Amino acid sequence: MPACAADLLQGTLDMLVMRAVADEPLHGYALVQRLKLTSGGRLTVPHGSLYPALHRLENRGMLKAEWRSTATGREAKFYWLTAKGRRHLEREVVAWHELSVAVALVLGTFAPPETR
Amino acid sequence: MSWLARLLNRRALELDLDRELRFHVDAATDDYVRAGLSRDEARRRALIDLGGYERVKEDARDARGTRWVEDWWADTRYALRAMARSPGFSAAAALTLALGLGANTALWSISDALMRRALPIDRPDELHAIRMVGIESEDDESYRTSHPFMQRLQAAVGDSVRIAATSGFSRLYATIGDRPEAVIAQLVSGSFFPLLGVRAQRGRLIGPDDDRTLGGGPVAVITDAFWERQFGRDPSVVGRTFRVNGVPLTVVGVAEPEFTSITVGQQVDLYAPLVMQHELRYMANASSTGADMKKPWVPQNGIAWLTLVTRVAPAAVPQLAARLDGVFRAELAERLADADPAVRARGLRAHLALEPMPRGFSPLRAAFADPLRALTAGVALVLLVACANLAGLLLARSEARAHEIALRASLGARPGRLVRQVVTESLTLAMVGGALGLVLAQWAIRALLKLASSGPRAIPLDAALDGRTLLFAVGVTLAAGLLFGLAPAARVARADLYASFKAGGRVASGAGSHRVPLGRALVASQIALSLTLVAAAGVFVRTFRNLLAVDAGYARETVVAARLDIRAAGYTYEQLPALYARLLDAARAIPGVQSASLSLHGLAAGGRRTSGFVVPARTDSPGERPAQENFVTPDYFRTVGMTLVSGRAFTERDTKDAPKVAVITQAAARRLFGTDSAVGGRFGYDTPADVEVVGVLRDVRPNSLREPPPPMVLRPLAQAPQEYVTSVEVRAAGSPEPVIKALSNALASTAREIPVRDVTTLEDLLQRGLSRERLVARLAGGFGALALLLAAIGLYGVISYSVTRRRREMGVRLALGASPGQVVRLVLRESLATIAAGLALGIALWFPLLGLARRLLYGVSPHDPGTLAGGAAALLAAGVLAALLPALRAARVDPIEAIRAE
Repeated sequence: MPACAADLLQGTLDMLVMRAVADEPLHGYALVQRLKLTSGGRLTVPHGSLYPALHRLENRGMLKAEWRSTATGREAKFYWLTAKGRRHLEREVVAWHELSVAVALVLGTFAPPETR
Repeated sequence: MSWLARLLNRRALELDLDRELRFHVDAATDDYVRAGLSRDEARRRALIDLGGYERVKEDARDARGTRWVEDWWADTRYALRAMARSPGFSAAAALTLALGLGANTALWSISDALMRRALPIDRPDELHAIRMVGIESEDDESYRTSHPFMQRLQAAVGDSVRIAATSGFSRLYATIGDRPEAVIAQLVSGSFFPLLGVRAQRGRLIGPDDDRTLGGGPVAVITDAFWERQFGRDPSVVGRTFRVNGVPLTVVGVAEPEFTSITVGQQVDLYAPLVMQHELRYMANASSTGADMKKPWVPQNGIAWLTLVTRVAPAAVPQLAARLDGVFRAELAERLADADPAVRARGLRAHLALEPMPRGFSPLRAAFADPLRALTAGVALVLLVACANLAGLLLARSEARAHEIALRASLGARPGRLVRQVVTESLTLAMVGGALGLVLAQWAIRALLKLASSGPRAIPLDAALDGRTLLFAVGVTLAAGLLFGLAPAARVARADLYASFKAGGRVASGAGSHRVPLGRALVASQIALSLTLVAAAGVFVRTFRNLLAVDAGYARETVVAARLDIRAAGYTYEQLPALYARLLDAARAIPGVQSASLSLHGLAAGGRRTSGFVVPARTDSPGERPAQENFVTPDYFRTVGMTLVSGRAFTERDTKDAPKVAVITQAAARRLFGTDSAVGGRFGYDTPADVEVVGVLRDVRPNSLREPPPPMVLRPLAQAPQEYVTSVEVRAAGSPEPVIKALSNALASTAREIPVRDVTTLEDLLQRGLSRERLVARLAGGFGALALLLAAIGLYGVISYSVTRRRREMGVRLALGASPGQVVRLVLRESLATIAAGLALGIALWFPLLGLARRLLYGVSPHDPGTLAGGAAALLAAGVLAALLPALRAARVDPIEAIRAE
């Protein structure tokens, strides 16, 4: 069952958004598509949650934004990661990995029947 | 973008957001179109995916972090618009608040300036006064000492500690223009200004070089206020010379504007060096023991006229005090070595102490401490009443807005948001009232300082609005706003949506009767507070009237007196008898004058002389007996209307060469001789008891109506020909007004060069002495009236609203056969219950507080039942009247219309 990204904690969403724009600048719509693509279709971020997250990150200085032309010629607001944001992302990723190791250890060999 | 930038660029950010979201929807739409959907269907799907356009915008706005400021700003603008929609109510509310807040701010500012503010000098906590403690004496006397003693103290402590001296205040006459102007002057030692650290804003201040040789320092320093008043801040004043009491003084500088005097609330115009005392003929505020006051005072040991101050860190005080006291006690022991053992034992109890005075001296402070506290409590109560009033009125209005609130809630506003909006409305109203209050406070401060003064000019207290006062004003305003905003906010928090909608947008009917008690509770508490204020008004007004009615022992309304400063005009002792004769002739010649007299100190004029008398016949308790002393012409008793109870008054035969005589009051008879029948008794200023008592007077109050009659000894002026009288009295046969003017003219034409002031009736002078009590009575009366009015308005508002809500119920009653009178009685009965509850609450809770004001009262108890009953009756009457109007309105309801309007 694909994870509904509404279950994502705000911090986790922020981390995913930052990762998505770490390689190249993206606008909001492209971000949604990128997240869906790279998660293999499992992650569909409700479009509405995205923009508050983007603006929040921008206010905190993690992202920087600029209006640019897209391939189709329209103007869109592109976001990319700042140096501060990159450092924050690295810290968050390390913390996330540690958390997932801990959670896996606790869950142990417990295997729900639907899992393959 | 920084937070502040985001706040200020809201519009740009909103456009930006809109653009961004539109792009998103367009991009999504294009993708769906490419997938095969129709344009419209694609757009619909894109919008659904987004999840609610406006919702996303709201969330994005929240992410901006500036939300609460924007909301607050929006609420404030809404509140102002709402206030503009009901201008009558808003104006009344703002005015009520302005009165309450302004009065509180004004009183706080005055209290701060008088009671709390430190002197505007360097390190005020180091300033100490040198004072004699341990034996009873008049307040002023315990500070006063002689110049040689100061020098001995200074020698004992060396150069590390400086001691400075000041004289008391006295009126001197300066010839600046063509006429002599009265100036209040103080003489100071050369170390005074350097010790305090006061700076000159122009020129220089008096220094040690000006105070070295007798008569050798003809300089003066003027204060900023005097510079402005007299010279209009003319910079050329420095270096100008003018005559003061006939002596040419050169102005060497102007003191900095913040500094007036080390006595708070005392007007000072001019400072001069101590060594100029004799030349300036400064002869006031001194006590003399075996010294010649007609010779220069500075070198004399026996004249105590200087107050000493010094600067010492608080930690070093005990050490310095011990050293100073050592010098004092050594001299004291030597002086008392030959004295009577009882006197010696009593005298040796005295010692010197250092009294910290960071806030300076202030007789004003002592006199007004209690009244200020009472008045502060009074205005605080008035503000509480006003807040209760507003809370009730706002509560009634919030009921009417229940529909609007319900609508907002249903559109998604959270209760917290709604409460915030209501509170903002209350705070906005409070702020408007507070701003108005600040304007009122300025005016109120000036008015209060004028009312409280016993002279023609306002008390010179720097009570202008400064940072601390503004802080207080803002704090009180916010507190008031929150206080009266609580009630409607509480209502909104409990908003019952369904019931409000069911009522169809009109005022909810009937079922909400449980809500009324909050409004009635507010009115009851208002009435409780108002009762205290009205009762307080009653006792303070009665105090003032009681004081006015006190028997002074002499005629008040028909006696006109004038104060003279003959010494300042330069008359010598030899010229006095002829002058006195001329003055008396001129006074007697005035049409309408029955008799005239002269006296050393006028009645209720503020000056007095106390002397010690020795009664050899009293061997039971030897020693000096102090009594107030006055020198008068023979017609004095007839002129002022003092009554003899035994013996005779003075006659022309009591001359300089005749045996010395005196007329004493009953109190003096008791003090000197232990009995009222003292005619024939003998006493003296020293061991030869050469004065015989020829008459005993009924007790008089020569100083003020509040003081009990002091022992008084009167002697014939002829037997002390070197005394400079300061008062002339005339008895008017009819109305005193024409006599006042005639007396002024007569004095001016007879002796133009003598400064004359305060030409008025004795009644007027006595009333000026009661300015403090009159101020309190007037203000308390004002508060009481205001409280009564507010309580009535509050009651009217609540009852009126209740009647409006219960229109249908009234209509039903009338339709079922009730008479209009019964409806009126119903409403009145309910109102009476509220009033009665309020009165009971007031008597139980607030009324006992009046006991705190006991010290301010005279002739009436703070819990006087008559005043309480009167206050309660007044409130009852006002309340019934206030409830009557809505009650009559209820009776006139048209039953059919009321029932039909659904």
